Amino acid sequence: MSVLYTTVGLIAVYIYVSFVSLVWDGLDRKLVARMQRRVGPPLLQPFYDFLKLVGKESIIPRDSNKMFEASPILALAASITLLAYTPIGFGPILATKGDVLVFIYLLALIAFIRVIGAVSSGSPYAQIGAQREVIMLASREAPMMLGLFAILWRLAKLDVEKPFSLETLYQHNIWEIGTPLTIVGSLVLLIVFIFWLASEIEVGYFNIPEAETEVAEGPMAEYSGRDLALFKLSNSLKEYASASLVVAVFFPWGLSQYLGISGIEAMLVDLVFHTIKVFVILFVSMSLFRAITGRLRVTQAVNLFWSRILPASMIGAILLAIDILGVIG
Amino acid sequence: MNVLPWLIITPLFGAFSMPVISLLGGKFREYWAVIVSGLTLGIAAKVFYTVWKSNEILVYTLGDTNPIGNGVKFPIRIIWEVDLFGALLALTVTFVSFLAILYSLEYMKHDTGLDKYYTLTLVLELGMIGVVITGDIFNFYVFLEIMSIASYALVAFRNDTWEGIEAGVKYMFVGSLASSFILLGIALLYGQYGTLTMAYLAMKIAENPTLISKVALAFLIGGLLFKSGAVPVHMWLSDAHPAAPSSISAMLSGLVIKAGGVYAIARIIFGIFNPGLHGYLKTFGMPAFNLNTLGWIIIFFACLTLVIGNAMAVVQNDMKRLFAFSSVGQIGYILLGFGIGIVAYGDKIGEIALTGAVYHIVNHAVIKGLLFFIAGAVIHQVGTKNLNELSGLARRMPFTTISFIIGATAIIGLPPLNGFASKWLIYESSAMYNPILAVVAVIGTVFSLIAYTRVLFTFLGVESEKVKMVKEPGTAMIVPMLVLVIIILVMGIFSWQISDKIMLPTAKMLEQLNGEYIMALLKFIGGG
Repeated sequence: MSVLYTTVGLIAVYIYVSFVSLVWDGLDRKLVARMQRRVGPPLLQPFYDFLKLVGKESIIPRDSNKMFEASPILALAASITLLAYTPIGFGPILATKGDVLVFIYLLALIAFIRVIGAVSSGSPYAQIGAQREVIMLASREAPMMLGLFAILWRLAKLDVEKPFSLETLYQHNIWEIGTPLTIVGSLVLLIVFIFWLASEIEVGYFNIPEAETEVAEGPMAEYSGRDLALFKLSNSLKEYASASLVVAVFFPWGLSQYLGISGIEAMLVDLVFHTIKVFVILFVSMSLFRAITGRLRVTQAVNLFWSRILPASMIGAILLAIDILGVIG
Repeated sequence: MNVLPWLIITPLFGAFSMPVISLLGGKFREYWAVIVSGLTLGIAAKVFYTVWKSNEILVYTLGDTNPIGNGVKFPIRIIWEVDLFGALLALTVTFVSFLAILYSLEYMKHDTGLDKYYTLTLVLELGMIGVVITGDIFNFYVFLEIMSIASYALVAFRNDTWEGIEAGVKYMFVGSLASSFILLGIALLYGQYGTLTMAYLAMKIAENPTLISKVALAFLIGGLLFKSGAVPVHMWLSDAHPAAPSSISAMLSGLVIKAGGVYAIARIIFGIFNPGLHGYLKTFGMPAFNLNTLGWIIIFFACLTLVIGNAMAVVQNDMKRLFAFSSVGQIGYILLGFGIGIVAYGDKIGEIALTGAVYHIVNHAVIKGLLFFIAGAVIHQVGTKNLNELSGLARRMPFTTISFIIGATAIIGLPPLNGFASKWLIYESSAMYNPILAVVAVIGTVFSLIAYTRVLFTFLGVESEKVKMVKEPGTAMIVPMLVLVIIILVMGIFSWQISDKIMLPTAKMLEQLNGEYIMALLKFIGGG
């Protein structure tokens, strides 16, 4: 029976998140338009885009191979799987100890499938985009992993049943430890995560692989019709999942315990509240960032990650470590 | 009826009857080779099942029912002693050999002298089976030589190409040197203790650990590290594997360096110089070896091997050379597992490390078999193994590409496939034992990720002129690849069940916390 419940839960989450993440995309476009004194598209524009793309003919380049057609489906499949491991106001559907590794792996896998699709298209633009994507992937994951593992390691010290599971984020959070070192360390890591999120969803500084004006949409250059629609959807899901991680790590508080409700209503309330927090995080990391910054060159972005953000992540991790090892006071 | 002797008799008979059978014509010798290796696989499966079911070590004496001689109190006859580790290796060896022979049916079609080829392949299989089932150290040497000589001949099988001859000569010189080290080690042990039975030798060494036996151990381990292709003595391997026919590369990389290399190292350390026995002696203040030094030496070479092997794989332009260096790298993981198993002997950590090492031997045999089959298919169909000329194969050879993607992800160790579980056990144990070792292991994996991603991109990229007209190979080459792909996927899905049900008991039996290897012999003598 639990398998059945899990499946139903996953499908429900998938439908909900698809809807919400597309709504957010519309909201984002509207907000950015307002920041630039435009009217902008209607809120439901991404839905129209999606439906239109699904209805259009998919053009398969002559030089492409089977992976070109397979990778949109694989990317969407990986995104849906990712949702089963994403904390969404309550613990992930398939929470086990160590599931954080699966989360990181799936997140990287989605990017990697995009790369495979791009390389398989046989287009030089797509290949350049793919190379950039791989470079960015290699640069951005290290600081995030360091920060995430440091936080989960710190939380694992506080008597949790499933260490290194994203579920522990709802049992304890990093602020409740309350010592000055953890607070400073967590704030540093928050900045790291905001930058990581921006590069994960490729906006602002980090809109490098897709760079419309330089390499004509990069990895997506040859995709059209239904394949492109699937990729857009999987990107939106990934966006939501990545932002959910940041929310769960730093702002895991739910409303239900304050309202004194439990059971299925509590889950729904937490889910909605979580979505609002995700929107806020995405507003900072995506809309604002997109509106006020331009694109970096790929070398500059790599440099930024290895010489600014990775050290920041190290500092954050070391502060957390110093706190628990009790070197000071 | 005891099936154990048939494990040797079948391939031996097959190999020796091959010249006669091939008088009947080309098709017959091929079917004969397939039938013989298939039968051997069946027997190995039976032996494995017997040992696994009873969880007891199988002992067999050649020539009599009891190895004890007339009037003496110690074993004088050759015994075969098969524990779960040996049986598992025998199963792996026979399985991959069977697929390699099946694969050769089409792959070797254009070569001449095929009766010799099939004879040598069966002899190679025979040698490896002998190495993994024997309980007598000189018998072990003989089988090791059978295996080595067959593989020298097979590496140089295409003697009209310069690289085959060059690699064969190099392999032969290096291999003979290594074999002479091993023989010297065995001679020293025999001179000191007067026995060649491994289990009995273990007792004698524990009674009287001398400097000579230490020197002998050094010779044995040195020679076997040569045979397993550990850095810095891996140079023969990176020439021999690309030069051999691909079906043979699959056996060399998947089996020979395991059976004649890491298996033998593990057997000699845990069987003859048992760390548990010596630790036990030490608690009574008796003279005993401290095997920790040896463990650290092995860990040192393992770290070197897995970093250098995988790093060298990144810069290769030749597909088979890349796979060969990757084999060196994977041997590093196995040695790391065994090394930690020695230094953390009797611990939970040591047990996890040994489980990982044993598991990785099987996984790597399967995965590398697949990858070399793929390389063979590419060479057979396109005629080049230079990665720069092979761009865009995916369009014309989709099945080969999909198999490659599965093999590559499995060997890097990505979660849904079988390489993950074994590598995870090794990472976990090394992280628990000493985090620096885990960092080294992860560096090795990063290199292997880069190396295989490069190959993947050449498979997927824009089509080059060379690959415009190619098509998939025939059924006889597709089927072995398909079987291995299915095995990889199934082992990946049930990886932790396999780890608990098969690999953990194997590691426990190898570790011999209660001296099972020696006790099995004593029980056998007492009962006989």
